[in-house]
Formats: sequence, C-alpha cells, structure tokens
Amino acid sequence: MAASHLLDDREDDGPNGSCQVMVMMEERTHPQATPCGNQVDDKPKSTKRLQGFRKALRKNQDYSRISKPSSSQLPSEWWKTGIAFIWAGFNLVLTTIMITVVNERVPDKSVSPPLPDKFFDYIPRVEWAFSVTEVNGMILVALWFVQWLFLKHRAIVGRRFFFLQGMLYLYRIVTMYITTLPVPSMHMDCAPKLYNDSHGKIKRVLQLVSGGGLSITGSHLLCGDFLYSGHTVMLTLTFLFIQEYSPRSCRWRCYHGFCGLLSATGVVCILVAHEHYSVDVVVAYFITSHLFYWYHTMANNQALRDSPHNYLNRTWWNWVFNFLEKNVKTPVPCTFSWPLSLPYVCFKNPCKSYSMVQSARDE
Amino acid sequence: MKEVRLWTCSDVSDWLTDEGMQEYMDALQNVDGPALLKLSEEDFKASPLSLVTGDSGRQLLERIETLRFTSHMKAHKNNNHEKSHHANGHAGIALANGSVSNGKIPNGIPKNGLHPEPIRILIPSLPEQERTPYPTEWFKTGVAFLYALFCFLTTTVVISVVHERVPPKEESPPLPDKFFDLFDRVEWAFSICEINGMLLVGLWFTQWLLLKHRSIVGRRFFFIVGTLYLYRCVTMYVTTLPVPGMHFKCSPKLFGDWEAQSRRVMKMMAGGGLSITGSHSLCGDYLYSGHTVMLTLTYLFIKEYSPRRFWWYHWICWCLSAIGIFCILLAHDHYTVDVVVAYYMTTRLFWWYHTMANQQALKEISTGNLFSRVWWFGPFQYFESNVRGIVPRNYQLPFLLRTMTSARVKYSKLDSRES
Repeated sequence: MAASHLLDDREDDGPNGSCQVMVMMEERTHPQATPCGNQVDDKPKSTKRLQGFRKALRKNQDYSRISKPSSSQLPSEWWKTGIAFIWAGFNLVLTTIMITVVNERVPDKSVSPPLPDKFFDYIPRVEWAFSVTEVNGMILVALWFVQWLFLKHRAIVGRRFFFLQGMLYLYRIVTMYITTLPVPSMHMDCAPKLYNDSHGKIKRVLQLVSGGGLSITGSHLLCGDFLYSGHTVMLTLTFLFIQEYSPRSCRWRCYHGFCGLLSATGVVCILVAHEHYSVDVVVAYFITSHLFYWYHTMANNQALRDSPHNYLNRTWWNWVFNFLEKNVKTPVPCTFSWPLSLPYVCFKNPCKSYSMVQSARDE
Repeated sequence: MKEVRLWTCSDVSDWLTDEGMQEYMDALQNVDGPALLKLSEEDFKASPLSLVTGDSGRQLLERIETLRFTSHMKAHKNNNHEKSHHANGHAGIALANGSVSNGKIPNGIPKNGLHPEPIRILIPSLPEQERTPYPTEWFKTGVAFLYALFCFLTTTVVISVVHERVPPKEESPPLPDKFFDLFDRVEWAFSICEINGMLLVGLWFTQWLLLKHRSIVGRRFFFIVGTLYLYRCVTMYVTTLPVPGMHFKCSPKLFGDWEAQSRRVMKMMAGGGLSITGSHSLCGDYLYSGHTVMLTLTYLFIKEYSPRRFWWYHWICWCLSAIGIFCILLAHDHYTVDVVVAYYMTTRLFWWYHTMANQQALKEISTGNLFSRVWWFGPFQYFESNVRGIVPRNYQLPFLLRTMTSARVKYSKLDSRES
C-alpha cells in the first residue's frame, strides 16, 4: 500500500521532516482485503482506513505548505509604475526649481566663508575627484538599468525605485530650502544671482534638468543645494537596489562588492573634491538607507501590514505605500527574464536555480 | 470502548487503524484482544511481523502497554479500589508533560496490578524567566542606562570640542533661514521650551514609575535616547554650523586648556545642558537639536505607554511638546533644519525600534527582514530577545509604596490589566 511506502520514507528523513509535501486527501474507496475475513461492509472500512491514514500522516510527519508566488500574487500593474515615474519626475523638476530659488539666497563667499569641516581639515582638495564621483554614478545607474530590464517583475521593482527616489528628492527640497548653507569651498563659482529675472531662471531650470545636474554635462553651476547631497542619494540608492534584486551566490557577491566599491569611492570623492560638507553626505546616506529598509521591510512582511502594532504605518506616506503595494502579497522573488519575450529555452537562467527554494534555505 | 480483553479481531484491526498502524493489520488479522496484550518483542523477530515492522515493533508495543494500563484501570475501578491516587499514578505516566513515556515500568507489569505507593513525577520547574513573556531583567536595564550615560558624556565632550571650532559671529554671520525671515526673535521663548521639556520629563518619569514592566520600558528609553545622542555627536562634529543669531553669547575659547575644558564638561552634565540652569553657554551644537529630541521622545513614550482613554493627557503632552519645539525656533536658538532633522530621526528610530520589538519575526536575521542590517541590531537582540510579545500597559505601584500600603487588600485600578 502506498501509505506504508510513505511511512517508510519517513524513517530515512532527518528530524526536520524535510520532505515537505502537502498531501491532498481525496475520498476514494480502495478495494482492500478485509482483515480477519469477517466483515462485510467495505465502505466504512476504507473511509476509516483513509481517516487512519490521515491521522498517521499527521502524527508522524510535519508538513508545511509551500505556496509558490503565483503571478496573481505579483501583478504587474504598469499603470502604478507610471504614476510612480510621474511622481519621481515631478520631484526632480521641483528640486531643480528649488535649487534655482536657493541659489538666490546663498550668502556670498566673502560674507560667509566655508564652514569648518573635519574632513576638509584633514584632506586637501583634489580637483578631478568630482568627475570620478559622477562617472561612478553614471556607471551604477547604467548597471542598475540593465539589471532592471532583465528582471521578471520589473513593474513592481521599477515602481519602488521611482517612489523612493521621488521621496528622497522631496525631503531634499525641504532641507535645502529651510536653511541655506554657505559654499563648502572657495573654489566654487556660483552662477550670478538673477534677482527678478524669471525668464533667466526658467532657462536655468531647463538646463539643469537636461544635464541631470552633473558637472560633467556642465549643468552643475548653481549653489546652495548642500543639505543633503543628491549625488550620495543616487549612489547609495542604486547600490542598494542592485544588491537587493540580484542573486546571492558567490559570483554575484563579487558583483555586489564591485558595485559597493564604486558607490563608496564615489561618495568619498565627493568629500575629497570639497563639493559637499561631511554632514550632507552622512545625512543623505542615513536617510536613503533607512527609507529603503523601511519600505522593503513593510513590503516583504505581509504580517506587518495587517498588524495593529505596526508603527511603520505612522509615516505620512503610508497611504501611497498601500496604494502601490496593495496587490503585492509576497516578497518579490529574484527571477530574470528577457525583456522581450524570447523563447524560454534560449536563455539559461542562472538565477532560476536560485529561486525561492534557495532563499528559503538561506533563511 | 469495551475492555481490551473482550476485543475481537475486527476490534483489533479497528484499533490499529485508529492508531495509524495499518501495516500490521494484515499480519495481526487473526489476533484478538488477549492475544494482542500478550504480544512481546520476540513475536516481532519472527515472521510475519518482522516483515512489516520498521522499528522492531517498538511503537506498537508501547501502544499495547498503554492498553494494558487502561485495562488495569478499568479493572480496578470495577473492583472499587480505594487508593485513588494509584489510578492517578497510572494516568500520570502516560500524560506527564504531554510526552508519553516509553511506557516501560522498570520492573515490568506489577504482579497484582497494585502499587503500594503513588508514583511521583517530577515536573522540571522552569526558571522564572522562561515562564513569563515579560521578564524583568534589571541587569539589562542597567547596561542600557550606562550606555545612555556614556552617550551623554560623549555628547558633552564633543560639544566642548566643537565650541572651539565655531567661527566667530563677525566672521561667519548666521545662515539664511526661512523661519527666521518670517518670525522675529522673542527673548523669553527659550525658557518656555525648557520648562516644557522639564515638565514632560517629569511626567514621563512619574508614568514610568507606575508602569509594571518598568525595566523593559526603561531599557528601551535609555537605548533610544543614547543612540540619538550618539548620532548627534557625529553630525555635530563633522561640520560646524555658525551661531543662528547675533544674540548668542558664547563662552570664550580655551585653546588646549584641558583642565578648564573638563570643568566645563562637568558643569554641563550637572546642569543637563539647559540654559535655565546656566549650563547652556557653549555654542556649536546645532545639527541637530537635542532639545527637540527630548521633547519629541518623551511625548512618544508617554503616549505609547499610557492608557488610550486618557486622550486629554495625550493632547496636553502633545501641546507641551509642539509649543516647546516652536519656541526653540522662535527664540532663534536653532536653525529650522536642526529641528526638522531631529524630529525625523527621533520618530523614525522610535517607530523602527518598537516595530522590531513587537514582531517576533523581525527579531531574527533573515533575507526578508531588512531591519536586521542596522548596526544596532546586536544590542537590540540582547535587550529584547526574552521579551515575547507586546508589552502590555499594566500599572503597579513602585516597590516602596506597595510595602507601605500592603496592609489592606486593595481592589484598585492601578494594579489592573489595561488593554
């Protein structure tokens, strides 16, 4: 009988009961030889046997249900990604407007000299360091973009990236505006103030947006956007996303290490170039990493969302989070797929073998 | 269920099915009740039983032992046996601690089925801590207190160091600040802020004394406040902001005079850094604002660990806190960004810590728990590993008051469960 086979298998397994299978019981009448040869009625015997079988399984083994994240649990919902993209774009434009406004309020270098900064005391300025930062930043963004293209659930991940980026830039707008720090170093040449020239200001905004705010493209002329550092935000955020949405095997860890190195070098070079105060970089790193962890913990733990003792939902953006992540019920598994659906057999997916079984084992 | 001795073959097979041992059914199909009771290990060594059994019949023999006892019990009951504890002794063996013993009495079945004395079963008494989900571990609270003290001391030292680096007002005028543009300075506002702060701290301290699980809550408070002041040390130190207003009178700089500096540190610690006590004479500690931290944190703790019904109390504390923070800015004593960053850090750390403490799943390192990547996860686990569940809002008079009033029985609300 099949049941005894299963029960024999039990003897070989370890104490954890690592054969994790959910046996679906069906009511089937088994034609069995009746014991003792006396009894006549077949049906109650077999159902009784079935019940005994169930009890035996329940008693002797631990079964845990493994629910595969089906596509219904991770819906794409590209329109939500579109909204997040608009949100990020809106905040980027608002940031550039704010930088233009703040540039008017930056005190002149002669009036307000650069503030004392511990890092600047020890490390003198190196001119080309800022280009290193920006090159690193562009490499990281490109790497992340390529990785994102190959993710299977790119709608969900993209949504998260845009939302977090928008949030971080929004916070940056607030801190930039309320208090204006002086320039960190005498080398900085700020664009002249246009007191009431709104036409000129609009042109500046467009120039900044088109250049992405990078000095390599020649659009980093405005001052005043010091607390906190947008370059640090991008470097840290892209690295965190790259690390989070890629497999965790040995080869990939080298890749993570490389990206981490790029990110760290970029951040240090900002300070070496005396382009930001140390406190700008520290605060930016802190806020970025905390927001990232916060969002992903909320998103990965379904139990948290329903719990009444979840203080994570006391943030002001909780309703946006609920809107974006309402239908995402499980952590996004690390699966890759071609961006344009080529036949599946062509692509030997390295990550497929590290699907949820691996992650469960890691845990 | 009828007695084992009266069982027929079909009863035996039914029993085997119930016990989940259908594999023996075919082999024992001609076995009835008494024969079942007579089964022993030798029977399992010979066929046909040796072919079906996987564990040389151990499990089945255990079950048969249980059957034997139950049949004993029934027999004794029928004989009106006087020693009732004997029956209990039997039952106890099968049920001690929820785990069935291996069913073998050392000397086999007693000769006439009677034990002269009851069998004592020792239930291992768990240590106190494992019993309650909210153990009072004052040692850990002491560690947290020392940590907070260390952080306060470091902050004072760093303020004293930073004071030397603050650029003079003439060289570096106050930075442009939106709030200062809108509101002019009001002189007495800072005293309001400090009075509010002292009130809130006093209220929180009284409330803490009345909590039942004060060691756990105290531990959390000290740890959070210590960490916030530690972060403050870092941000204060790396970049020095100039004074926010020309009204500031900073103490003169003592270049390299360590003795005088340490005396300043002592004075500041003794006064708590408040200007009311005259110990707020050092400049440079602007990013971020310690006053805001204390005002916000005490309010958060007060609200968290007091009954929900006392909404008026929460509102009063909220007003105290908000007015205090507003007055800091009104007095032009801190930049707006200092206050905003301080509020953000305090609330985030508080909510983060408490969410982690309230969810068992977040106390372990796993790929889904990104909160475990934070640097203070180790100390957090140390403090909160034995706390299982959400600390309930129970109240209890502190020890001294309890001993004084323990003469008569009280049915007060103070020693009650608060949902």
